[in-house]
Amino acid sequence: MGIYVKVAFRNLLQARRRSLLLGLALASVSMLLVFLMAISQGMADSLLETTTTLASGHVNVHGFYKPSTNAVAWPIIEDEKKVRPLVEEILPDVERVVSRAHGWGKIVSETGSIVTSVTGILPEQEDRLRERLTLAPRSAYMEGGGDEVVGDVSRVGEPGTIFLFANQARRLKVDVGDTVILAAETSGGAANSVDLTVVGIGRDLGMVTNFISFTHKDTIHQVYQLKPEATGSLLLYLDDIERTHAARKELADALASRELEILEHLDQPFYMRMDALSNQRWAGQRYDVNTWEAEGAHGKWVITGFQWISYFLVSILVLIIVVGVMNTMWMSVRERTPEIGTLRAIGMGRSRVLLLFATEALILGLLASGFGAGLGALVASILDAARIPLPSDAAKTVLMSDTLRLSVRLDQIVRSVLVFTFVAGAASLYPASRAARMRPVTAIHHVG
Amino acid sequence: MSTVRTRLAAIALVLLFASPAAALTDEEALELIKLQDERQNSVGDYKALVFIEQKERNKNDQVYEALVYRRDVTDKMVILFVRPKEEAGKGYLRVDKNLFFYDPTVGKWERRTERDRIGGTTSRRQDFDRSRLAENFNVKWLGEEKLGKLDTHKLELRAKPGADVAFPVVHLWIDKATNNLLKRQEFALSGRLMRTTFLPKWFTVKNSQGKDVWVPREQRIFDEVEKGNQTTVVIRQVELQPLDDSYFTKAWLEARSR
Repeated sequence: MGIYVKVAFRNLLQARRRSLLLGLALASVSMLLVFLMAISQGMADSLLETTTTLASGHVNVHGFYKPSTNAVAWPIIEDEKKVRPLVEEILPDVERVVSRAHGWGKIVSETGSIVTSVTGILPEQEDRLRERLTLAPRSAYMEGGGDEVVGDVSRVGEPGTIFLFANQARRLKVDVGDTVILAAETSGGAANSVDLTVVGIGRDLGMVTNFISFTHKDTIHQVYQLKPEATGSLLLYLDDIERTHAARKELADALASRELEILEHLDQPFYMRMDALSNQRWAGQRYDVNTWEAEGAHGKWVITGFQWISYFLVSILVLIIVVGVMNTMWMSVRERTPEIGTLRAIGMGRSRVLLLFATEALILGLLASGFGAGLGALVASILDAARIPLPSDAAKTVLMSDTLRLSVRLDQIVRSVLVFTFVAGAASLYPASRAARMRPVTAIHHVG
Repeated sequence: MSTVRTRLAAIALVLLFASPAAALTDEEALELIKLQDERQNSVGDYKALVFIEQKERNKNDQVYEALVYRRDVTDKMVILFVRPKEEAGKGYLRVDKNLFFYDPTVGKWERRTERDRIGGTTSRRQDFDRSRLAENFNVKWLGEEKLGKLDTHKLELRAKPGADVAFPVVHLWIDKATNNLLKRQEFALSGRLMRTTFLPKWFTVKNSQGKDVWVPREQRIFDEVEKGNQTTVVIRQVELQPLDDSYFTKAWLEARSR
């Protein structure tokens, strides 16, 4: 085998210019694929981090309560004390349980208003949330604002306060320390309101931060006139995130066996179910047990879309590469036809001729794609470390971060190199087989 | 008709013998709001052409034209938007204390709360519905107040337990001379003033039994939370003839939307 590699390598060196051009093309496409995969992985990592801190646990138990068949469904677990012990008993590998209340209302400032969800939290349960939140510089939400950062992440969830995100503060034209009004309807249908002081304005972290803000759970109870024992959702964080799906099923089945009404599992965020549930004719308490992937379904759709576009783009480039490799091999075969004839005349088998040419393409594919993938990984790592701020809201929404985030994984690099090496090898097979099928006499007398 | 006359006579007597600044008792205040309910109660069916003008800060003014159909006996109501073109066909249907919203662009019905804002404006379903003050609120006389040149009774209404109302506390200013409701302020549970409504003009329409039904020609509703937002509801062409049962069905609203 060594002799084939040696011959192939020498041939590549002999046709240096041609090999270099094709190698560069292969390296570029390989680099592009690794780079796009790094973006996609960065989005997936951001989605996981953002979703599992801002909006979801690994597994969630959401409550839906309808006081009557005609009423709309409210995101309420009537009695947390009834559900929480069951959850902890059924899933002993739950590392922590976080209780959150959900509100939906109008936040009004002196100059603007937004309709958004307001999440009620208990600060003592929310270390992960505080770690994930970062304050936005004034320039992110105020015209003429500078790089100074005001506010205090440690105050998120304090009673009588609200933590907003830059896009919301921009629309409301508020700064830290300003007062806003949260106007909403109580669960009984009466109008209610509360004044809240803005204690922090966070950096935007994609789509989820367009529709979420944080206050103390008691504030939600006060505005919506909920009983003290009520909550909205229980967010469950597992020791091993890989067990998410299994844990969800175990929990849903076990809760159902304890005569709790569990809704059919749908791969969608809990708030998307509210309209449909409001139109159904049932009353009382029902539960939805879902995963962080369901809560981040929008993000997943964006990532899947991005991946499909990436693969489409790379596929077109791969087609061009295939044509390039075949063309190069044809030229190589044509130049080396007398040599092939001689080798065949002294007893080299057809399969070995085929192997000789295929090895040449495989070596070129391996070296070029390895180089390209390595370069792509290096560039991606440098850009990730640079934490380049994203210029537009659209980019922040799509990439689910306020900085360019790229994540390089070794398995993706290896996969990329293997794919391109295989593509190069496969593209050489047809010219190589034509070379292998030549009659020695004809080949020897071939004049290039 | 005779009930209204009796109430009017009772209120006139109270006002005649009372000293100028005498307080109304709770019963007298209740009579006054019952009178409001009765004057506006059409008894039979009700149809009106309504114009809703919405002014919002930082936005262009919007004017909607809608048809309101009511059957107060069974608490049924339909609001069908007819203009502008992009809103035409959208509608609300209230049946058995359920409020549904239909959007022909998606062809879907959505359940809404009874207190929903109509067409996203400051107006609510109650602004188009019959008056149910006595049914839903306990009332207390707060005093006399001048409203411009007019002398008014100022009443405070607090929602009865379990009453399905948007605002749990309401203040009313009722003209002492005509008993017309002139001003209404609505408060949230927190005590915050949410809306102020002025009702400067009223007109009457005779129903099939010859009873005068009072209708506010114009309601100017000011959003007190989002200052600068204002809705004006103008009611025209009120008809009190019986309506067909089919009007108060989803199928009718869907058919009109097509």
